[in-house]
Amino acid sequence: MPDNYFARYLPLLIHLVIVGIVACGMVLLSWLIGWRRPTRAKMAPYECGMAPIGDARERFSVKFYLVAMLFILFDVEAVFLYPWAIILRDLKMFGFWEMIVYIDIVLVGFFYIWKKGVLDWGEASMKRGGF
Amino acid sequence: MQVTEATAVDQLQEKFPQVSLVRESARDGIPTAWIPAGHVSELMQFLKTGIEQPYAMLYDLTGIDERVRVNRDGQPASDVTVVYHLLSFERNEYIRLKVALHTNHLSLPSITAIWPAANWYEREVWDMFGVRFEGHPHLERILMPKTWVGHPLRKDHPARATEMGPFQLPEEKEEREQEALRFHPEAWGMERSRDGADFIFLNVGPQHPGTHGVLRIVLQLDGEEIVDAVPDIGFHHRGAEKMGERQSWHTYIPYTDRVDYLGGVMNNFAYLIAVEKLAGIEVPPRARTIRIMLAELFRIISHLVWYGTFAQDLGQMSPVFYTFNDREKAFGIIEAICGARMHPNWFRIGGVAQDLPNGWEAMVRDFISYFPPRLREYDREVLANRIFKGRTVGVGECTTQEAVEWGMTGPNLRATGFAWDFRKKQPYSGYENFEFDIPTALHGDCYDRALVRVEEMRQSVRIIEQCVNHMPDGPYKSLDPLASPPLKERTMHDIETLITHFLSVSWGPVVPPGEALGAIEATKGNNGYYLVSDGGTNSYRTRIRTPSFPHMQMLPLLCRGRMIPDLLAVLGSLDYVLADIDR
Amino acid sequence: MTSPYPFAAIFGILIVALTIASGLIWIERRLLALWQDRYGPNRVGPFGLLQVLADTIKLLAKEDWIPPFADKPVFIIAPAIIMITVLMSFAVIPIAPGIIISDLNIALLFFLAMSSLGVYSIVLAGWSSDNKYSLLGGVRAAAQMLSYEVFMGLSLMGVVLLSGSFDLVDIVHAQRKIWFIIPQFLGFVLFLIAGLAETRRLPFDLPEAESELVAGFHSEYSGMKFGMFFVGEYLGVTLISAMITILFFGGWMGPVLPPIVWFLLKMFFFIGVFILMRASLPRPRFDQLMAWAWKLMLPLALANLLVTGAVVLAFFH
Repeated sequence: MPDNYFARYLPLLIHLVIVGIVACGMVLLSWLIGWRRPTRAKMAPYECGMAPIGDARERFSVKFYLVAMLFILFDVEAVFLYPWAIILRDLKMFGFWEMIVYIDIVLVGFFYIWKKGVLDWGEASMKRGGF
Repeated sequence: MQVTEATAVDQLQEKFPQVSLVRESARDGIPTAWIPAGHVSELMQFLKTGIEQPYAMLYDLTGIDERVRVNRDGQPASDVTVVYHLLSFERNEYIRLKVALHTNHLSLPSITAIWPAANWYEREVWDMFGVRFEGHPHLERILMPKTWVGHPLRKDHPARATEMGPFQLPEEKEEREQEALRFHPEAWGMERSRDGADFIFLNVGPQHPGTHGVLRIVLQLDGEEIVDAVPDIGFHHRGAEKMGERQSWHTYIPYTDRVDYLGGVMNNFAYLIAVEKLAGIEVPPRARTIRIMLAELFRIISHLVWYGTFAQDLGQMSPVFYTFNDREKAFGIIEAICGARMHPNWFRIGGVAQDLPNGWEAMVRDFISYFPPRLREYDREVLANRIFKGRTVGVGECTTQEAVEWGMTGPNLRATGFAWDFRKKQPYSGYENFEFDIPTALHGDCYDRALVRVEEMRQSVRIIEQCVNHMPDGPYKSLDPLASPPLKERTMHDIETLITHFLSVSWGPVVPPGEALGAIEATKGNNGYYLVSDGGTNSYRTRIRTPSFPHMQMLPLLCRGRMIPDLLAVLGSLDYVLADIDR
Repeated sequence: MTSPYPFAAIFGILIVALTIASGLIWIERRLLALWQDRYGPNRVGPFGLLQVLADTIKLLAKEDWIPPFADKPVFIIAPAIIMITVLMSFAVIPIAPGIIISDLNIALLFFLAMSSLGVYSIVLAGWSSDNKYSLLGGVRAAAQMLSYEVFMGLSLMGVVLLSGSFDLVDIVHAQRKIWFIIPQFLGFVLFLIAGLAETRRLPFDLPEAESELVAGFHSEYSGMKFGMFFVGEYLGVTLISAMITILFFGGWMGPVLPPIVWFLLKMFFFIGVFILMRASLPRPRFDQLMAWAWKLMLPLALANLLVTGAVVLAFFH
């Protein structure tokens, strides 16, 4: 097998197909073997045996979405560090200082959101103790 | 006691000359007075804040259906009596206030504005006796299902299932019951949304691994933050108080075992102290010391369950296995002495069931030397763990004042820094002869509650050691004719004793009429039995004041504004048992 | 270099990975039992070894339940996603020279990408169940795994700096003189923690938190679909242990014993560490976990990266 770019990915593709078959097979097998006998209690969502109040599809507190936004910001910033890490030896000191400047900019943003309290999820819990 | 008795009710009369107080002398020596329904609020307010050495704690609030009671000499006419027990820490004394009500007007003012703890107690009296409390914020059934008809502790309500026809649960009834259990936020004055985000209303329990039994807590959540919580109890209600009216004084003992089912003899203990006060029985020293030893063993056993499950609630899986192993060791001793383990049913009126078995000393000594090193190991494993501290320090705090206000007792109260232990302050069964310390902490948070309990186990070991070293000789049961089952010393010698013995065994002892409160420092707090005897072979009214009930009532206070995991930490640290809440 | 017999490698690695993952269920239960003074499963087959088989049969024969209120397609796809993403990562793991499905020059990035995709499984499961406990579990999972992902990648960049490659085979070869655990100890600790968080194992099992959320994101799952989450978790443990072995402990390298034995030995050691963690640690609260990730781990990972960069430059010039 020639060691070209595509050849490296071919086994990966075959792997994906096989893994997909395995995963779907498990679902399918349990569908074939398993039985189904719905009852009234089973048809209700589990809430400790009580009739639920409203359902789970509600407008959720904004705090959780903030995490996702922070993730996107910082992960994108982190991604810039990956190629830098590979070629740092070629970039030499220039690349290093450049990255110091870059990380400083990231840190400014980081401390800004820290001070803004975005990183505090439960302020009451931090009163005494914590980590 | 007699001196202060005069002054407590006297002071009340002095302050309110226009109110007619009727005094009553109770068998347990607690100052008792009947007060008119119209003046309940002002008298209570005065006793809580106005009087010097005030009665800071609403200890208990309950009712008695008096309609078929015969021996009520000197008591005002009443169909249903509402009984308040207040506790003053400065005086180290209770006061009992009674309000006479008549069936055509079963209503009196609520005192929830004075003691927030009155909330659940008043709901219970409404549930059980149908007494309305005017001005109560949410007067509805608390222990019985909302669909229940009648008020169970009234004398005309059936006591046995056989009187009520076979139980059936057709589908439409099941649906009706489920619907009755559905939570309606509006009924509790709760908003459905705030600032554009919807609150989630979540049922935690009754089928939930973190609630330690069939307890339901409805949470109002903003994301993960608990805005409010409403505990819903009664799923474990078995009518223990009603059973007390049907069982003889003697045969009720095993039922008490099942109230705080982790506390074993602790329940027998409180009940029998009340019975012995009524019957005027003096318990011999050996029996008293055996009682203390078993009680302290059960304190350790109960705390071990708490220790392991508390760690488990916080996600630490292993300690529960270690503490349960140790508990098995302690149960080995209990089994050798009592024959049973969790429900020993071992104490008897006037003493204990049998003398200690041969070789008990070696077993107990073995445990005393085995256990403290284990405790040190758990300190390192659990208490010193930084994640454990992070989860418990500063979580679920309450001040001493709040604790007293809400009727908190036991280790939970001591964790707030208030060294109040009924074994020291109101010694019973000879605790005054023992050397031990009252562990306290400062902040009243989950971690402090844990610290206090762990230290209590060490103190219990100390007490047990003293029991082994100084176990008195003598009879294990009183020779009093009311002690049951009576000792057979002289039964075969004279006919009089034989007849008494025969009657006492077949019918059970006849306890003279009167009322008495027996309260002890149980594993979870103050466990009190308030018994009313009408001079029969069984109790006229058995009231069980349990520590878990007020503790659970405090839950919303302790976890508002916190997160779901904190709820579990608070629940675990409160150390309650559902049977102890619901009875 | 990629294996000359792709099918043999694929099937070989798949079978081994799945066997280890399901075997781990038995190993974990026995180990926990050992540490907790009890027996664990010891009835089915010799030493209870066939317990896993019995469990599999039981899971397959269970009711195939899809709640009527759930978002059905998503509900079914969610457990398949976790299986696929984790198993895909195994494709780039060099177990021994020549035993690898696909030797990519971006293997490390591929691993990070797959573990990011794994989050979808948990979030979709929690969301599609239309159950409040599941929703809370799913949301927790999303927040937790996203937060730990940020510094998971960063914690590995020290290794990349030292080896100058994203290729896992090259990274192993770069450790011929010294295992990266020595120069990259901080990176190792950070990656171990991030790995625990990614596999949602105690002390990072907040999305499940049985004492709080009653199994959280998979409350509504049963039968084989639940089993797939279960196996997925153990596959994840195996994967992270394998990654630690490769990145910090010289992969298959070691004296006397054949390479594959060394690899498995090292991997099982870390699997044992994972299980020991589960046996001993309590679970932090959500906000503490997040504060930990952002306020402690992220700055540490950045500092580690810069210091390593400076050292590398000083060393090579």
